[in-house]
Amino acid sequence: MNRKTLWFFMLPGLLLYTGLFIYPALSGLFYSFTNWDGVSTSYDFVGISNYKDSFDSIVFRKAFFNNVKFMLTVVIIQTIVSLILALILAKNTRTRVFLRALYFFPAILSSVSVGLIWSFIYDPSLGLLNTALTSGGLEQFTASWTGDANIALYAIAFVQIWAHAGQMMIVFIAGLHAIPEELMEAARIDGATRFQIFRKVTWPLLAPSATIVVSYTTIQSFKAFDLIFVMTDGGPNYATEILTTYIYHLAFSNYSFGLASAGSMIFLVLLGLLTMAQFKALRRGGANG
Amino acid sequence: MKNMKMKSSLVLALTLLLTVFLSACGNSSDSSADGKVTISFLHWRGEDTQAFQKIIDQFETKNPNIKVDMQTLTSDQYQSTAQAKLTDGSVGDVFASFPGAQYAALSKAGLYTDLTNESFLKNYNADLIDVGAKDGKQWAVPYQLVYNQPIYNTEIFKKYNLTPPTDWDGFLKLCATLKQNGIIPIAFAGADIGPGQFMNTMVMNNEPSEDIFTKVEAGQAKLTDEFWVKTLTQFKELNDNGYFQENSLGTKDAAAGALFIQGKAAMLASGSYQLAQNAKQNPELKQALLAPITVSADQAKYEGVHTSTFMLGVNSRSKHPTEAKKFLEFLSQPDVASQYANETGQNVTLKDIKYDSPELNIAGDWADKKTLFQPRFTILNSENQKAVTNSIQAVLGGAAPEQAAQDAQAIIDQQIK
Repeated sequence: MNRKTLWFFMLPGLLLYTGLFIYPALSGLFYSFTNWDGVSTSYDFVGISNYKDSFDSIVFRKAFFNNVKFMLTVVIIQTIVSLILALILAKNTRTRVFLRALYFFPAILSSVSVGLIWSFIYDPSLGLLNTALTSGGLEQFTASWTGDANIALYAIAFVQIWAHAGQMMIVFIAGLHAIPEELMEAARIDGATRFQIFRKVTWPLLAPSATIVVSYTTIQSFKAFDLIFVMTDGGPNYATEILTTYIYHLAFSNYSFGLASAGSMIFLVLLGLLTMAQFKALRRGGANG
Repeated sequence: MKNMKMKSSLVLALTLLLTVFLSACGNSSDSSADGKVTISFLHWRGEDTQAFQKIIDQFETKNPNIKVDMQTLTSDQYQSTAQAKLTDGSVGDVFASFPGAQYAALSKAGLYTDLTNESFLKNYNADLIDVGAKDGKQWAVPYQLVYNQPIYNTEIFKKYNLTPPTDWDGFLKLCATLKQNGIIPIAFAGADIGPGQFMNTMVMNNEPSEDIFTKVEAGQAKLTDEFWVKTLTQFKELNDNGYFQENSLGTKDAAAGALFIQGKAAMLASGSYQLAQNAKQNPELKQALLAPITVSADQAKYEGVHTSTFMLGVNSRSKHPTEAKKFLEFLSQPDVASQYANETGQNVTLKDIKYDSPELNIAGDWADKKTLFQPRFTILNSENQKAVTNSIQAVLGGAAPEQAAQDAQAIIDQQIK
């Protein structure tokens, strides 16, 4: 295949990528130095004041810390849950294949639908969760799941995990299937316990899959928007406000596109740094594996 | 030969791509070869499309040379994308806008055509369209009228011999009686619309002024001033006494509405826009509007809160302003507005309207009362608006009113430059 043919096949994708990603990103960078309101045809250049205002903003800082809390909760718990599910369901029996499909199912639902469904489940007066707890004699455990500022973020993190743990389970199962059975058998003949086999054989060989799961979950949870937007819209009292919802509100409710663009640029840099760190870890994990 | 083929394929691919891009950016407001002019009507009331389509059909019959193309977006999408669509003039020859931040932004961008001298303005109740005026000129006409105050179940009130109170002590007493009888006094959607709706009547007499929040945004008044701390304290009083349903901060609009519709709650902290929907879901329900009076009876200046919204304007970038004005003029005829009101269950800002449903008449009865334009909508910066409503959520979550007011003021201080 010659160079021109290669360009020909790349052209549609390249045009779309330039139009939908590169151009908006560069526009965002440009507008981040202006006070553009998103509507007017005129604007003034304000230097780096949007960046300064973002870092000074009480809400921006709250959103950043909520973002980190949300990301850590989801990454740690989702990785553990999906690994446990994968270990239980790795073998190809009829029941296990059915259960795998069942646990994967939430991943195919749109996050807006998931958010709406869980909003109803979490409703403190009429919701399924509190009703079930009450009828099960566990009334002391009922709560205002998305209304209590101390637990709202974790309640949404739970939904995020519910929706994506099955998806990550599949990655782990693929990793488990790639481990040669002879190694396990050799360990068993040597008298290794189940835990020793997991620690010394399974886990080291599963490292590349684990790195993929952690990388993907980190980026996915850091970019979370739809679930929070649908379930709490950042409330109560900023308890679930994260950077993406904050930027959205600035741009589309407050018409502060300049400031929102600066927030987006900071967010882009943070995501870039996270991706680079993940990429390094992925290469290391790949090399080790 | 091979090169030729390659070049033609490349040109074909580019042409196709351009066609796709350009057709997506197509202009829906245009003149066709048969001399017919097509204008675009852009709004967010998806639930009103049938009613509007009937009106459009009548308009097109009377004006055979004008075709109206109606486009609706959800209200969230409308907040986020309408301005971009309106700016390039491709859609929205006639468009709706929200009062407050959106109207201010569109107005600043010069997107409204001056309607000051249009004869149809006389059909509107002058006090109710003030919100669409600026610098002595009328830029938009709010079409819908909403009373942002609690709805109450008149049967429950009758059963316990209760009447809408005229002062704060009376309101607390009323709530206590309801609670003692196992009824939730107020269904409050604390997770979404509740704070933003209920704050209006709670604050209207604590600071009986049309521009208190304008002053807050200008730095001439503070949320730590007595009026707001008192309002937050009264919210806390209602919450601490259990006059909202349990865990109200986790309750959304639909769930709060269900508590009221099912007769579990006596009052619903929303607004008149909910009356028709409630009646649809429970035709037996008897409803009316009231407002909590947070001061003594002799100090009360306002009886309730109103909002004129769905502000209709003619796009200054429209290629067919005459036709667009003609359509707006048609919508502004009392018989057309009556038809719209009766089919959608929404009250309107025009005079001489004949409402044919009890729900519309409930709100219609408030036309002669002393009401204040919704204070929340006078907060033009949405970050400030959020700080204000979040301070209510903070208090309901257990914060001290003074602390919640101080935290909210700190956010507002950052917006003041």
